[in-house]
Amino acid sequence: MSSRDAILERIRRHRPQGPDLPDIHAVSFIRFEQPLAAFAALIRQLGGDAVELAEGQSVRELVAERWPKAGRTVDITGADHEEAATPHDWQDVDIAIVPGDLAVAENAAVWVSHPDNRFRSLYFLTQKLVMVVPKANIVDTMRDAYARVRITEHGFGSFIAGSSRTADIEQSLVMGAHGAMAALVIFV
Amino acid sequence: MRVGLFIPCYVNELFPHVGMATLELLESYGCEVVFPMEQSCCGQPMANNGDSKGACAAAQRFTSIFRDFDYVVAPSGSCVAHVTHHFDWYLAGDSDYQSLKPKVFEIIEFLQDVLKVEGLPKPVYFPHKVSIHQSCHGLRELHHAAPSELMIPFHSRLERILALVDGITVLKPERRDECCGFGGTFCVDEPELSTAMGEDRIAQHEATGAEFIVGADPSCLMHMGGIIRHKGRNIRPLHIVEILTGRGAT
Amino acid sequence: MKDDSIRHPEAAAAFLADREQARWHDSAIWWVRQKRDAQASQLPEWEALRELARTIKAHTLSRLDDYLRQFEEKAAANGVTVHWAADAEEHNRIVHGILAARQVKKLVKSKSMLTEECGLNPYLEQRGIEVIDTDLGERIVQLRHEPPSHIVMPAIHLKKEQISELFHQELGTEAGNNDPTYLTHAARANLREHFLTADAGLTGVNFGIAETGGVVVCTNEGNADLGTSLPPIHIASMGLEKLIPKLEHLGVFTRLLARSAIGSPVTTYTSHFHQARPGGEMHIVIVDNGRSEILGSDDFFQSLRCIRCGACMNTCPVYRRSSGFSYSYIIPGPIGSTLGPSRDIRKHASMAFACSTCGSCSNVCPVKINLHEQLVLHRKRAWDAGAVPTGKKMGLMAMRFLTRHPALFDLSGKVMRKVVPILPEGLTRQSAWSRAGRDLPEMPEQSFKEMYRRREEKN
Repeated sequence: MSSRDAILERIRRHRPQGPDLPDIHAVSFIRFEQPLAAFAALIRQLGGDAVELAEGQSVRELVAERWPKAGRTVDITGADHEEAATPHDWQDVDIAIVPGDLAVAENAAVWVSHPDNRFRSLYFLTQKLVMVVPKANIVDTMRDAYARVRITEHGFGSFIAGSSRTADIEQSLVMGAHGAMAALVIFV
Repeated sequence: MRVGLFIPCYVNELFPHVGMATLELLESYGCEVVFPMEQSCCGQPMANNGDSKGACAAAQRFTSIFRDFDYVVAPSGSCVAHVTHHFDWYLAGDSDYQSLKPKVFEIIEFLQDVLKVEGLPKPVYFPHKVSIHQSCHGLRELHHAAPSELMIPFHSRLERILALVDGITVLKPERRDECCGFGGTFCVDEPELSTAMGEDRIAQHEATGAEFIVGADPSCLMHMGGIIRHKGRNIRPLHIVEILTGRGAT
Repeated sequence: MKDDSIRHPEAAAAFLADREQARWHDSAIWWVRQKRDAQASQLPEWEALRELARTIKAHTLSRLDDYLRQFEEKAAANGVTVHWAADAEEHNRIVHGILAARQVKKLVKSKSMLTEECGLNPYLEQRGIEVIDTDLGERIVQLRHEPPSHIVMPAIHLKKEQISELFHQELGTEAGNNDPTYLTHAARANLREHFLTADAGLTGVNFGIAETGGVVVCTNEGNADLGTSLPPIHIASMGLEKLIPKLEHLGVFTRLLARSAIGSPVTTYTSHFHQARPGGEMHIVIVDNGRSEILGSDDFFQSLRCIRCGACMNTCPVYRRSSGFSYSYIIPGPIGSTLGPSRDIRKHASMAFACSTCGSCSNVCPVKINLHEQLVLHRKRAWDAGAVPTGKKMGLMAMRFLTRHPALFDLSGKVMRKVVPILPEGLTRQSAWSRAGRDLPEMPEQSFKEMYRRREEKN
């Protein structure tokens, strides 16, 4: 018998009694009266920032204002953008501007996913990550978020909340462990 | 109402005054209290060390001694929790035990839930600061208070009943319900760790400025008391029944 | 690998010999418990959420074979290769097989307690593959040739001075620069090079979704993401209990995991892997290694609900004051103290007793495992296996006898009360009760029974 069949057979023999699946929507979860404000307040504690784009301002202008001395900037929010031959091509990116499909008020996470998975590494190699999210696309909790994301569509997707961080040295919080050192969410 | 008094074995030998205070308290509320002389140990030490045979025999013995009372009451949360929560490991199918189980109470539970007392038998003036020691089994098995881990509204049996005492100031230590490190035979299996936990707990009680550590489990008080004596500290452990009977400050 | 001959009482006493370090360890970890409380208290639905999580996991375990089949089928349909490993050896062989067939020289790993359990690193290193742990804490303990002391915070036993010294030697950082930001960024620069030059990446799995055939990996550092988006090969090692039935269930578990683990509303990265990157390949290794046996145990199958958040360690007053290195099993603390003894009760018996049965662990557990009860239930197995020390066994047998003979019980109590006060102090001071600084209680003149009898005679 293969290991697979032996394992499945043993589980079949040993599996305990269990309850039916619960209805996760039967419980009421927290709601936010001002989800954008809640999101913004929270992401500031997570090494990030969130702003609403002002009338007449462009994302590029806002980014340039914030980081005037930027290095290589890659913007994949438009239809016409740079391509990559390998995922390693993004290793010297300073600022990546990427579309975010959805924002979550309870934890400041933004869902990112791209049809071309060569862009996956961009989210993590860039020094500063700018996520551009339509402000209508904010939900209260992860339950609402999972009801809306198309998880298998692009083979990869991630909720990103703030900047890369670690507290592995004496519990001191340090921003910029491996991924982006700074995260900016722009609501448009 | 016939109440069987359950005095845990170590309370019988080492803290007889706690037993007497419990008896006195029950009687002064008008209960007919009987103390069965043949009682010994509820079997918790055996159970906690995996001796199922010994624990089962003790559970059966306990059941046969106490089954005919209207209620069984003891001044120890841990021993009561063993009877009401863990005898099932040995006596799940025993009808005598199943009918006894809902009649077994820790003294404060009994006063509040069965007698529903709203005052003390006689007025007690205790003008002292006390720090509440919430013993683990009373807390997490008998639900004496809302444990700090659970996100539920706060309540505390000990604080509620001490509100009936005049002049008392009730305080809570930092880490309001951290274990003191007694843990039954854990205290001798791991003496260094057990003592370290006790030292930390005492320091937290002392930091409240309290003169007494007040709890409902003599075992935790015995453990902390031993460390307090060794270190020559001023704070004193005190069982809550000693306050409720007005004996505490002596 | 961990030395499994460790016995908790002696190891804990040794750890406590440096009280300053032990106090620091206790407070550092208690701080995480407090952060957890602060997060949990912000959600009015916290307790309901725990109950949902418990129920979903309990349900999953009751049909685990069905869900595993569904998971396998969906993953295969996504183009992922699924492997099955009955034990640690087979897991390591499969991983090595994948790597060797593609001439992989360097593997970057993100945190996986499963690979620690399987001893993957030494297995691969002996076969010429360079393994780089990339979680900062894991990297630190890897450079020190130590196992992790905590499942979420692997290097929590170390002070920054020790890490500074290590990095000075291994990474060439400035001697004496203990600044955590400086040290973290030095590791960042060093590990970037490894990410960019690795031939394969291996991750653990936080959740496997039966409905979609994908796996979810949660990190704060982003190491799992770099390790899987750059190299062409992604291997995910997954314990078979990691499954959840549906995608929507992540809406429960991702809300609990980071809040319980580190007191953060979510991990920085919650990444969902359903396919390899373009030009790459993805493998999932489903590992049993004793889990299907635990599933068959009425007393212990609930431990398979665990999502490895580590909250039980952070709240455990014993763990905080003894550190992960006082436990013989690779996973320490309350959850390790049921998983280890389930695996081998003789080897890990001392873990079942390293517990004051305070029960705090069961209350913080996001999937409501009855952890402290499981430890007591393991003590039965220890007793039955003859793994309880002889002296203690004799004492309990005596207690067993006396319990049935109350007159003798009372007599021995009386003897104790009379004899203890006249014992030479040197003798009592050496007892397990007293040797760490705890005096015996004052011995009363009379027992309660004697007082009661006297009172009855008077009336």
